[in-house]
Amino acid sequence: MDRQQEYVLRTLEDRDVRFIRLWFTDVVGALKSVALAPAEVEYAFSEGLGFDGSSVEGFTRIFESDMLLQPDPTTFQILPWRGDEEQTSRMFCDVKMPDGEPSMADPRNVLRRTLNTAADMGFSCYLHPEIEFYLFKADQWDDQGVPVPVDEAGYFDHVPGGVAQDFRREAVSMLEAVGISVEFSHHEAGWGQNEIDLRVADALSSADNIMTARTVIKEVATLRGLHASFMPKPLGSQPGSALHTHFSLFESDANAFHEPGAEYQLSTTARRFIAGVLRYSAEITAVTHQFVNSYKRLWGGKEAPSYVSWGHNNRSALVRIPLHKPNKAGSARIEYRGIDAAANPYLAYALIISAGLKGIEEEYELPDAADEDIGLLTTRERMLMGHAALPTTLHDALGVLEESEFVADVLGESVFQSFLRAKRAEWDEYRVNVSPFEIRRYLDAI
Amino acid sequence: MSQPLSHRELLSAGIQDTARAESLLDSKELVGVELGDLLAQLAVAPDPDTALLLLIRLIEREPTVTRLVTADAARPLLRLLGASEALGEYLIRRPEQLDIFRDPDVDSTPACGGLVDAQGSAIDAAPVLRARLLASVGADPYEEPPVATMTGKDASVALRVEYRRQLVAIAVQDLMADDPVAMQPVVSMWLSDLAAAVLEAALAVSRAEILIRYDEATDVELTVIAMGKCGARELNYFSDVDVIFAHDVAEGSQLTRQAAADIAGELAAGITTVVNQPAREPALWEIDTNLRPEGQDGVLSRTVSSHLEYYQRWAHTWEFQALLKARPVAGSLALGQRYLDALSSLIWQASTREGFVRQVQRMRHRVIDHISHDQRQREIKLGPGGLRDVEFPAQLLQLVHGKTDPELRVRATEDALEALQAGSYIGPSDAQVMTNNYRFLRLIEHRVQLVRLRRTHMMPDTEHELRMLTRSMRPISGQWPKDPEQLVKAWKATVRSNRTLFEQLFYRPLLPSTAALSPDDARLTPEAATARLAALGYRDPRGAVRHIQSLTSGVSRQAKLQRQILPAMLGWLAWGPDPDGGLLGFRKLSESVGGSHWYLHMLRDSSAAGERLAHVLSSSRYITDMLEHTPQAAAWMDRDQDLMPLSLDTIQTEMTALIHRHPNLPDAARYVRVVRRREILRISLADACDLVEQPQVSQALAAADQAAVEALLRLVVDHVTQKWGGEGPRADVAVIAMGRQGGYEAGYGSDLDVMFVHQPAAGVAVDEASRFAVDVAKALISFMKMPTRPPIVLEPVLEIDADLRPEGRRGPLVRSLDSYRAYYEQWADTWEIQALLKARAIAGSQHLQDAFTQWADSVRYTHGLTKAQAQEIRRMKARVEAERLPRGADPARHLKLGRGGLTDVEWLTQTLQLQHTPDYPELQTTNTLKALEAAKAAELLTAEDANILIHAWSLATRIRSGIVISTGKVSDVLPTNRDLLEALARWTGYDAGEVGEFEDDYLRITRHARAVFERVFYGTTSPRAVSDF
Repeated sequence: MDRQQEYVLRTLEDRDVRFIRLWFTDVVGALKSVALAPAEVEYAFSEGLGFDGSSVEGFTRIFESDMLLQPDPTTFQILPWRGDEEQTSRMFCDVKMPDGEPSMADPRNVLRRTLNTAADMGFSCYLHPEIEFYLFKADQWDDQGVPVPVDEAGYFDHVPGGVAQDFRREAVSMLEAVGISVEFSHHEAGWGQNEIDLRVADALSSADNIMTARTVIKEVATLRGLHASFMPKPLGSQPGSALHTHFSLFESDANAFHEPGAEYQLSTTARRFIAGVLRYSAEITAVTHQFVNSYKRLWGGKEAPSYVSWGHNNRSALVRIPLHKPNKAGSARIEYRGIDAAANPYLAYALIISAGLKGIEEEYELPDAADEDIGLLTTRERMLMGHAALPTTLHDALGVLEESEFVADVLGESVFQSFLRAKRAEWDEYRVNVSPFEIRRYLDAI
Repeated sequence: MSQPLSHRELLSAGIQDTARAESLLDSKELVGVELGDLLAQLAVAPDPDTALLLLIRLIEREPTVTRLVTADAARPLLRLLGASEALGEYLIRRPEQLDIFRDPDVDSTPACGGLVDAQGSAIDAAPVLRARLLASVGADPYEEPPVATMTGKDASVALRVEYRRQLVAIAVQDLMADDPVAMQPVVSMWLSDLAAAVLEAALAVSRAEILIRYDEATDVELTVIAMGKCGARELNYFSDVDVIFAHDVAEGSQLTRQAAADIAGELAAGITTVVNQPAREPALWEIDTNLRPEGQDGVLSRTVSSHLEYYQRWAHTWEFQALLKARPVAGSLALGQRYLDALSSLIWQASTREGFVRQVQRMRHRVIDHISHDQRQREIKLGPGGLRDVEFPAQLLQLVHGKTDPELRVRATEDALEALQAGSYIGPSDAQVMTNNYRFLRLIEHRVQLVRLRRTHMMPDTEHELRMLTRSMRPISGQWPKDPEQLVKAWKATVRSNRTLFEQLFYRPLLPSTAALSPDDARLTPEAATARLAALGYRDPRGAVRHIQSLTSGVSRQAKLQRQILPAMLGWLAWGPDPDGGLLGFRKLSESVGGSHWYLHMLRDSSAAGERLAHVLSSSRYITDMLEHTPQAAAWMDRDQDLMPLSLDTIQTEMTALIHRHPNLPDAARYVRVVRRREILRISLADACDLVEQPQVSQALAAADQAAVEALLRLVVDHVTQKWGGEGPRADVAVIAMGRQGGYEAGYGSDLDVMFVHQPAAGVAVDEASRFAVDVAKALISFMKMPTRPPIVLEPVLEIDADLRPEGRRGPLVRSLDSYRAYYEQWADTWEIQALLKARAIAGSQHLQDAFTQWADSVRYTHGLTKAQAQEIRRMKARVEAERLPRGADPARHLKLGRGGLTDVEWLTQTLQLQHTPDYPELQTTNTLKALEAAKAAELLTAEDANILIHAWSLATRIRSGIVISTGKVSDVLPTNRDLLEALARWTGYDAGEVGEFEDDYLRITRHARAVFERVFYGTTSPRAVSDF
């Protein structure tokens, strides 16, 4: 029993916690949860909690059904929205095989493996995710069957007496209560669209934090009679929701992306990292944009970066080098803008970080930076400047992913295969669906 | 020259090159020296020739040295000069240091004699040495922390001169000792303390240099942790010193974390500079900082919490063995202690990992494998039976039992042995033997290194060096070793004894105390025995204890032999994927062989046989079960030759003889089947012992089946003929193997797919001949599988399956050759031509076999494929993919019908054969791998594609055979059960614990094979876009 585990057991006792939820994630990033009584926690630490994985997406068919959840005591938190009565807590789990080896199908393990590779190269990875989402009025639809956003405000708008503002205040304090520091929160460009930026943390914690934040945001919305959604593009006329993420690598205590005096203060390591990320951005699109709906955001024309490019403070670029305060070496970072709000953070981050590491390892050359709005260029211009287009549909993206040895290698064959299988099934279902658009357009006209 | 010297006097002083010595003795420096006295003293020098030369050069620099000779006080000096050229050169370079020979008490240095107290026992030299070395760079040893007054190269020179002065003092005491073997640990301790003092003094210099630049540097505390030999105070004369740095910042300091880390890094780097930068006095040893977190790429110094964070990631790995010896030696010792406290809990958790000992042992084997063969024999440290073979089991036992017994948490090897013995984890005599062996080898190492102060661990091999080593090992007052021969003999005996130590220490104590061989053996408590068995990889240690008890208890001869054999067997069994199953199998086998004297004797006398048997038992249920019923087969383990599969001819000869002796059909059939079963066991044993590759295995299995079919066919033809009233057979009947058997690709438990062909005997109507032939075929099928009396236990029954014949089950069981001809000309589907590619005649008259083959060749090899036929094959395959895969099966894991599985590769290969054989006769083969190789050579496939297909097919085939070997059952699915997967991973050549990689590799390789298949066979460019495979 190590100190962390002891701490958990002591807290359970001291705070009279009644339930412990064990959280883990399936391949598409849906949070799964099992509740445990405090008396069983000690056993779960030492032996793991057996569960039948055969009904969980991604664990199906690949392995025998008996698997173990191994709670990670460093992720222990009391869940505040349950109130003081009957306190509930949660821990994230690693999914293990009965012999204690990590499950090859566990997305958290995919990210862990990547981070271990990074550590072997001497790097630790830190992330700063920006979570966007829409707030709708619960159970209200307009005459087109479209959900109704809580307000019609825009970017950074202050809405007096606004619902969204109160919502954000409560969500942020709830997040702080579960130990997730929030850097920033504000109204986004779309009607009812909000953004909450988490403070920088190591990559695994960041991914855990995103899973927690999604839950917290949805819980708070429900408590306030609202509905929160991370759907990438819920409203055709409004911008989509992304999960822009800032990446930085540290070598021991120093920021490996920072080099004073270099162009944009970017070190060679940073340039290679970006080159790697760009090179694989098309192959990983099916993971960073994993739903049919994702492509309506990606190709919706509203500031989603759909071409492979990078630039200094260029919001149309896939990789943006943020302006940062000079002489703040520690804050050097790059922003990857090609992840939508509904991605599985474990898999998406594992792929992006691995792509960057590959760039470093194989010393990829970085192409020239783009300094204009790439969306405004002509197709020919983009071609000449080497800005390839990302896949335009889930189907295309899966085709590219399927051919990618890189992705298969990072995800491992099991996750690779089950991801493809789940997503192909989704596409097949979508393909045969007749949409309201088609009814409107064709039913009377033809 | 004062007086003429006789040759005898020179020789008795040990001079080798007398002519040269004579001229040296003639040199002007020795004028006035009584040469007889000199020679008498020179006799103590291990290499008198060199000592004499060095002495003359020394007198040249410092003439007063002759007074030592005259005063009959030159023995320590001459012994040193003859043992260490390097230190001789140092004295010539620094003659002022010779004072330590003139007056051992000079200037209260711990020089000659100064390290031993009045009672003659060694004193703790650490504080003295620390004070001397600090003083050499002008630092006050009582200041906290000490800061040098000297800096730069001057400091380096001063420090190094003082270091070597103390080294001379230590070497002289070592060389002059009455019992250098007993003295060895003390010498190592002094050497370690001296190295620690160097680090402390170098740190004082580094600190002085850094304070010139940053005042805040006083806020940074640094500790130097020695690892390895220096950490355990068992350093030798010349070796890298392994260190790790940790730092902390004083409370209230203004320094940022980064700035503090930078200062600590500079302080640490400064130590290396002082010790190693070029200066007038040569550099000392390397300071190796690579054991730090992240190795060469990591920062030099970290805070304690940063160290801890790093090591937590590595918990359970072998890295921790290095930490076992960590000891703070310089800088802030309090900070060093905090470092140790923080990490100690991690160290002692390492052994709880499953199969810990096995993994660690494997690393040891890898190290040995990396040493070149001729060096291996002379390696004192890493070679088999070398120092590592003492240190290693001691450390492992510490890690295994130290988790519960804090008494074992000591650093030095000798201390560990003592603690292990005190705790009864090893026997007192073992501990004694190990300690002696260890010291003896260390002494050799010391003496060898002393000569040139080089890092070497090689036993010398020239006559001259060996002679010198012998003389330097032999104390002045002693007789042993008399000559190089005696020394080498003792060394070899030590190496031999060390080689078996592991087994001796790990496994022998596991025998129950009633079975102890001698009262000297250690007696483990039941808890300790359980912990040890678990660390060795036994999942059910209690069960294992029961088996051990049952095998070794009693006074029978058998039990006595078992006590000798079992310790080694326990070790070998632990290497397999299923040690518990293996031990149970060994118990059953031993009980079933009973008192057969050859069995236990073989195991006692042939370690190869024992190791093989253990390996087989712990990896295969299939073989273990068969062995239990055919225990005589264990005898084959002793000789490769006995394990090699027999040729078809040999099996046929034996079967023919058996038939001859047992004319009664049921008896004869039974004998044929018994021989076949025996041969399958032999093949599986050879396979499990890695004596044969998969293609040979398949070939041998095919031969065993063919011989059985052939023999039985002869029997049933006679039998049916008699039933038909004699008068000779009505028809000639031949058996044609199809499918895997036809291609020599059979696995364990494969069916035999066949077609039967007949040719009417002269004057017999086709109809009658057909009926006769059908009777023969039916009898063959049934006698091959019907129960026998007495039964053949665990026989892998050969199912003969004729369903692949034209028209399948609806068609006649046997056709005449003409009928085949007619059928194929008029009716045959393309798939039937494809099936014919695997046809191989295996029994019946040679004439009919040849005729069939000739006809088959004309069908399968001469036509090529029309477009329509090619399309038909593709459609057929598509239908098979949709229909044949069992419901609910995962296509990625189905070895035969799955994605990139056997069928994919075979259909692609067969299509190529049908299409191209008319132009490329080299494609004429029934064997898939040969066909693929031929297609590659003919460039019908790119080498890359062909290799992917070959790889996938071979892997799937290997896994299928592994499934039968492990479970005794045939299955076409890559299992999801982890234990079985682990066994299969081992069977296919992966290491323990690599099951994840194995599974991933299989899925990837077959995915690639499927991509090739889609492209080449279906002609689609986007693989899998068209199917859910």
